[in-house]
Amino acid sequence: MAKVLRKFVLPGDLIVKGNYPPAPNTYQMDDGLHSLKVGLSEIEGRNVRVIPLAGRYVPRPDDLVVGVVIDLNAFAWSVDINSFFPAFLTATDVFGKRYSPESEDLSSKFDIGDVIIARVAAYDRSKDPMLTVAGPKLGRVNGGYLMKISPVKVPRLIGRRGSMSKMIEEATGTRITIGQNGIIVINGEPSRIPLAVKAIEMVETQAHLAGLSVSVQNFLSKETGRVVRKPQEGPPQSDDFNSGESE
Amino acid sequence: MSAEERKHEFVDSIRREQVFRTLETGVRLDGRKMDEYRKIKIEVGPIVKADGSALVQIGNTKALVGVKVLVGTPFPDTPDEGILTVNADILPIASPYEEPGPPDESTIELSRVVDRGIRESHMVDMESLVLEKGKKVYSVFVDVTVLDVDGNLFDAVSYAAVVALATTKYRKATLKGDQVVFSEKRVPLKPKTIPSSVTTAKIGRALVVDPDWVEEAVMDARLTLTFNSNNELCAMQKGGTFGFTPEEILKQMEVARAKAKENRAILKEAIEGAKKK
Amino acid sequence: MTQLISKKNLRLDGRKLDELRPIKLTVGVLKNADGSAYIEWGRNKIMAGVYGPKECHPKHMALPDRALLKCRYHMAPFSVDDRKPPQPSRREIELSKIIREALSPAIVLEDFPRTAIEVYVEVLQSDGSSRIASITAASAALADAGIPMRDLVVGCAVGKVQDKIVADVSDTEDKEGQVDLPVAFMPNLNLITLLQSDGALTKDEFEKAFKLALEKGRYVYEIVRDALLEGFVGRKNEKEGN
Repeated sequence: MAKVLRKFVLPGDLIVKGNYPPAPNTYQMDDGLHSLKVGLSEIEGRNVRVIPLAGRYVPRPDDLVVGVVIDLNAFAWSVDINSFFPAFLTATDVFGKRYSPESEDLSSKFDIGDVIIARVAAYDRSKDPMLTVAGPKLGRVNGGYLMKISPVKVPRLIGRRGSMSKMIEEATGTRITIGQNGIIVINGEPSRIPLAVKAIEMVETQAHLAGLSVSVQNFLSKETGRVVRKPQEGPPQSDDFNSGESE
Repeated sequence: MSAEERKHEFVDSIRREQVFRTLETGVRLDGRKMDEYRKIKIEVGPIVKADGSALVQIGNTKALVGVKVLVGTPFPDTPDEGILTVNADILPIASPYEEPGPPDESTIELSRVVDRGIRESHMVDMESLVLEKGKKVYSVFVDVTVLDVDGNLFDAVSYAAVVALATTKYRKATLKGDQVVFSEKRVPLKPKTIPSSVTTAKIGRALVVDPDWVEEAVMDARLTLTFNSNNELCAMQKGGTFGFTPEEILKQMEVARAKAKENRAILKEAIEGAKKK
Repeated sequence: MTQLISKKNLRLDGRKLDELRPIKLTVGVLKNADGSAYIEWGRNKIMAGVYGPKECHPKHMALPDRALLKCRYHMAPFSVDDRKPPQPSRREIELSKIIREALSPAIVLEDFPRTAIEVYVEVLQSDGSSRIASITAASAALADAGIPMRDLVVGCAVGKVQDKIVADVSDTEDKEGQVDLPVAFMPNLNLITLLQSDGALTKDEFEKAFKLALEKGRYVYEIVRDALLEGFVGRKNEKEGN
């Protein structure tokens, strides 16, 4: 396994000298690859990446997002997904190709103010993002606790192959749905929710620190008074930073 | 709130390419050399109702300046100096991208950069404009009207303002108690120096002087430099949404210094010519 | 005229000719803004906040191929000796424009078509060279907002006071000195993005002053680096490791 070199970088910083394959959040200059973001750069062999430490949510096709219906007309819902543009969910996605505004009423399905879980169907920066609710576990959220974290911290909260969120779910007895846009739905016994919120907040504030999962593990063990174990995961990596289902 | 606003025609990709490719061969789209100005035409005194005036054309760019010298109250922090005000207006007829209304940020920048060039060169002897210290001073209004826009407003307006000021003859005022009485006798506003403004632009790797409208539409950045009669730098302003390397700045500085001298000769010729009439 | 530089080459506030005033920069100081920074540079106290990329209002101003960068430099009425009327002065309008143009080369605006990025600079107390302090804080706030940037933008205003070239012009030196020459640039890309001057400089004086501005700007850059490191990682001196 190649050694991972990691450092804190600022916009403009030279990450590595020489010619490297292009990577997100970087740009190539004559002397090498530079960072576009405040973040942590990782060099693993020929692979370079920058994990941003701040920034707004940029939709990517297939992302799971949690959004709020803010408007609707005869053909589509408009959904705030915590990005620069509201996303659209078309009536045909819900009612099928035969949809006709005369026979169906959009508000009967999702009304203004409803929270929905959806996937990004299409987005390419020149058009507004398009959503779909076709798929298991997608659709309206019926209750639960809603919280927001910085979208760049989402991979950390999910953890490698879901290990972090699973650990919090198991220790607190809740179900956590994490939108890539930083909006999170927590379901479960009302008395269990505050501990899950605390653990998530801890992940957000300490996302840049090494050994985060151990700290969260210790915190949960202390709070619940029992030994919280890390769920089984794949082969151990040097660190579990920025893993998650997005990759 | 400052935001980018397009003030020139939309340049299609073919014409953009053309500008860049032509520049790479060492000439410009209109055949000029990198350090060549378009023809500068100066008409002195077209407005007889003003105390001084000048119409300057650089290529198709036309700027008219009228100077009026009135009497006013000095600013509290400079009781022993006259007042100089430069105010520019780009008329709606001057460009399809100008609208009637209060001056926008580029017009305000234009006024202020021209003002700075004149003020910081100490062209106008402000201390000679005092009637009674702290009470009454001459107030020199330099009103600029841009009639037609084809790039490089900064230099056209600056030249028009400098020539108009240098040829201004104002009515002498005296104070009788609180009353200001103007005599029919006119005195010249003797310039202490002739500031000469040179605007350069960076287009890709090329550095040019006197950018026309198409060049301004595709340029990366602009640098306006004003030199006094000793050819010392006395004001400078970078504009445009890209930057210069330090080497480019130093290079442009010397190109501009040489151009400023040439153009000052043109301004002086116009000023001297007017005096002989 | 006030004696601005003593026989021992010390300035009114005791600084050496090439000495900067103390600079303190903190990022992430506002809750609502997507990015923020607060700078104290001498007695300048300036808050910068960034919103975006966000939906562009009014919509007709949106650009089809990149984000619209909006910038406002604004002085609080109590920020100067006399009360400054709250409506924007011509000076503030010009500064808003040149600060925007100083920042815009650094931002990857092409990444966010049809959106707007808003930069607000609020001068709470002004003390000379405020435009450079504003740009420095605004660029830190943009980085704090996670907006993709090719480089940070920093700078230093140099000047000529009693025929001597000085670094970091103070309020009094600006008003009573001979030349003020603010310079802002991107240190990694070596690109000047703001350059202004007023007052007479010979060729040699300009070159000396310009060099001094770039040298001191690089020192300011280190302060910005430390502030961002402190803000994001909470500790200084991060080293390469695994």
